Amino acid sequence: MGKYSEDPKWSDIDPLPTDEGGPNPLAAIAYAEDYEETMSYLRAVMAANELSPRVLELTEDLIDMNPAHYTVWLYRSKCLFHLHSDLHEELEWLNETALQHQKNYQIWHHRLTIVDALGEECDVQGEQEFVARMFEKDAKNYHVWSYRQWLVKRFQLWEKGELEFTEKMLEEDVRNNSAWNHRWYVVNGREAEGVKGVTDPEIREREIKYAEAAIAKAPQNQSPWNYVRGIRKASGTELAALKPLAERYASVERPGTVRSSFALDLLVDILSEESGGKQQAGKALDLLATTYDPIRKNYWAYRKSQLGLGSIETAATA
Amino acid sequence: MRSRISHRRRRNISFPQRRSMAAQNNQEHTLGNLLREKARIVEIDGEEGFDYAEHDTNELNGVPFPGSHLKQTVTGVSIVPHYLQTATRNLVHDDLQTVTSETQAKTTAECLPYVTGKDTQGLALNSHGLPHLRRKAHAEYLRGFLGELPAGYAAMDASRPWLFYWCIAGLSFLGEDVSEYRERLMETVRPLQNASGGFGGGHGQFSHCACSYATILALTAVEGLEVVDRKAMWHWLGQVKQADGGFRMAVGAEEDIRGAYCAMTIITLLNLPLELPPEAHARGAGLQTFTDRLGEWVGRCQTFEGGIAGAPTNEAHGAYAFCALACLSILDTPHVSIPRYLDTQALVRWLASMQTVAEGGFAGRTNKLVDACYSHWVGGCWSLLQAAFSQSSATRDDFAAVTELEPSELWNPAALIRYLLTCCQQPGKKGGMRDKPSARPDAYHTCYSLSGLSAAQNLYIYENGITVDAESGRLTAAFNWLAQRLSPGKAMQELGIDEHDVVECVHPVFVVTFDAVMRAKEQFAKGGL
Ligand SMILES: [Zn+2]
Repeated sequence: MGKYSEDPKWSDIDPLPTDEGGPNPLAAIAYAEDYEETMSYLRAVMAANELSPRVLELTEDLIDMNPAHYTVWLYRSKCLFHLHSDLHEELEWLNETALQHQKNYQIWHHRLTIVDALGEECDVQGEQEFVARMFEKDAKNYHVWSYRQWLVKRFQLWEKGELEFTEKMLEEDVRNNSAWNHRWYVVNGREAEGVKGVTDPEIREREIKYAEAAIAKAPQNQSPWNYVRGIRKASGTELAALKPLAERYASVERPGTVRSSFALDLLVDILSEESGGKQQAGKALDLLATTYDPIRKNYWAYRKSQLGLGSIETAATA
Repeated sequence: MRSRISHRRRRNISFPQRRSMAAQNNQEHTLGNLLREKARIVEIDGEEGFDYAEHDTNELNGVPFPGSHLKQTVTGVSIVPHYLQTATRNLVHDDLQTVTSETQAKTTAECLPYVTGKDTQGLALNSHGLPHLRRKAHAEYLRGFLGELPAGYAAMDASRPWLFYWCIAGLSFLGEDVSEYRERLMETVRPLQNASGGFGGGHGQFSHCACSYATILALTAVEGLEVVDRKAMWHWLGQVKQADGGFRMAVGAEEDIRGAYCAMTIITLLNLPLELPPEAHARGAGLQTFTDRLGEWVGRCQTFEGGIAGAPTNEAHGAYAFCALACLSILDTPHVSIPRYLDTQALVRWLASMQTVAEGGFAGRTNKLVDACYSHWVGGCWSLLQAAFSQSSATRDDFAAVTELEPSELWNPAALIRYLLTCCQQPGKKGGMRDKPSARPDAYHTCYSLSGLSAAQNLYIYENGITVDAESGRLTAAFNWLAQRLSPGKAMQELGIDEHDVVECVHPVFVVTFDAVMRAKEQFAKGGL
């Protein structure tokens, strides 16, 4: 009848069919026969806590049918470690599976477990290259970036081409916020261990320069603006130092020359810290609310109230 | 940090003052012109402004957008708001094209005919010219998932509890009676519960925080929580609590902020003891309760951008922002717990920036695309944040005194509603809601679109009250919320909806109806195991 029920290798197993709970289950899936059969064998082996090579085959079969099945992944890794299986082989199989199932994320946790266990035996450069290949299909895949971060930490890749990697990614798309986040991590990820990131003046200047160059390419790109703000906050340095940058793309006096709403927003914070700058900051907020970013007019009005200023004035656009 | 928001809201002072808008709105541009000028508007002259609310809608036909040559009959009387007008939309525009800007342009082009009312997809329109909420069709659509599903749904085999939750909760947001599903749900989830505690995605699957959360909420909605083995659940949660304060999604699985929110939701609704079970390995690291080091761990998820990541150092993401705020709102009064662990000003800036310029919905990350599900994940953050900003104590009396609801003051609920009603409703027979017009509807986007609509429409206020139950030790802050359904009047006018388009109040922390939350509160008032 089925692939497993007809296989003598599995004849000792009494499959456990799906318990639907009752005669009228909700959202009951009319499983295809092969899926139902395979699952019923998995349930049976799991109930017996069997960890064997044939179980590995069974999980591989199921993952092919349903890669989002977290239980199968978890049970598979349990099995692999119990059997002291060849993890290099596992990694090769994972490469194919990952490319087939782009959006799946269980696979990345599994990969992490395997690579972690391989430790120094792992071809780390190969891992970096594989991850880079995944980004060719989706350069913002959250789980892949998260895996990349783990890789950097696990194998201490901080100074082994990671910064250059973020540069390459941002060269391709300067708006890729995931790449900006990774850059932040590579630069600042060791602060807790005492390795300075943007709290070091030299690194800080380098990073601000980098962001400035990115802003010059596309001023209305939120990522580098968030990045420079983050630097100021993390380093506890004066926001005022960013005034020339903000003024390059926004001006309260010449509202017609604004080239970036993010520059204008930054200018608000800089001006409001200056003595006597509050009124100017208020004007910048008026500009944002009425002209350059009106969808957020309530937020800009809120910021104005935070400064103890009145409500939004439309005349400021003149 | 003190804010005047809640006072203003209660005193019903219009905020911000809406005056006439700048005159550049009157300018008409062709797309070509705009591109040649790099979309820079030269003439800014504010004195002769006009109020968009009174604006003649025939102007609409002049709005250029890709595909505008495909003339549509304008059936709507929808008024194009200021933020949507071509001149405003394209004021700051960069020359450099990358994958991000190209996909963004494509999405805007895809949505504009709908958000501007140019193409109404044959949907019935409300008195403001926006499509009505298709209540019946969406309810029908959600009910469909609760029946038998074809074999292709095997891909959902590990997330069936989500289907129960999205459909049952979604139906309840539409005001549908879901009690008819009580017995069947209780039967259906029985094989999903493991003897060692918690619920898996299906029969014979490992217990998982997300599956347990979805199951518990669905059961809460139908008053079926007695099937839960609370004691076993408590033991199982003890296994996923980590020494660093966070929670894993399952034993041996990844640790992320969803785990923290899901676990605390389960513990609070079921009134499980806060003490860790004796065998919990986190005890070895000196932890004694489920809440130990949790706020700190959540705080570590805030990134340099101000938003919240799934785990420390990852990228800021809207869904995780909700998990963080809701989790902290369970731990204590929002204005105590949220500012204690998060930089709220940085967070509010980031959250506000998620509302996309042309479409009006929310994106989930910086430089990503609008998507209806973030109507809940980001849209659901606002009432929690506003409670965090409000130090004053709201009372039931103050609340009753609100006669005319003000639209929310930190973000743009009208724009979100417009996006959801115009772009996210599947036209035709089928119903259901979708990520964006080019996507197919699904239960997930339907549920969270409806929840987002509720966040945009109804008013939620945190009433200061008891945060720990003296007898059972239960954390009760999350039970102190009050809600008021949007009533006819000025607010409806401003939001562009009729009575027919209003959804039920959705609990800001637990994302089921208020009634359901109150029933769970009563049911396990005693605590113990
Ligand atoms: Zn979505």
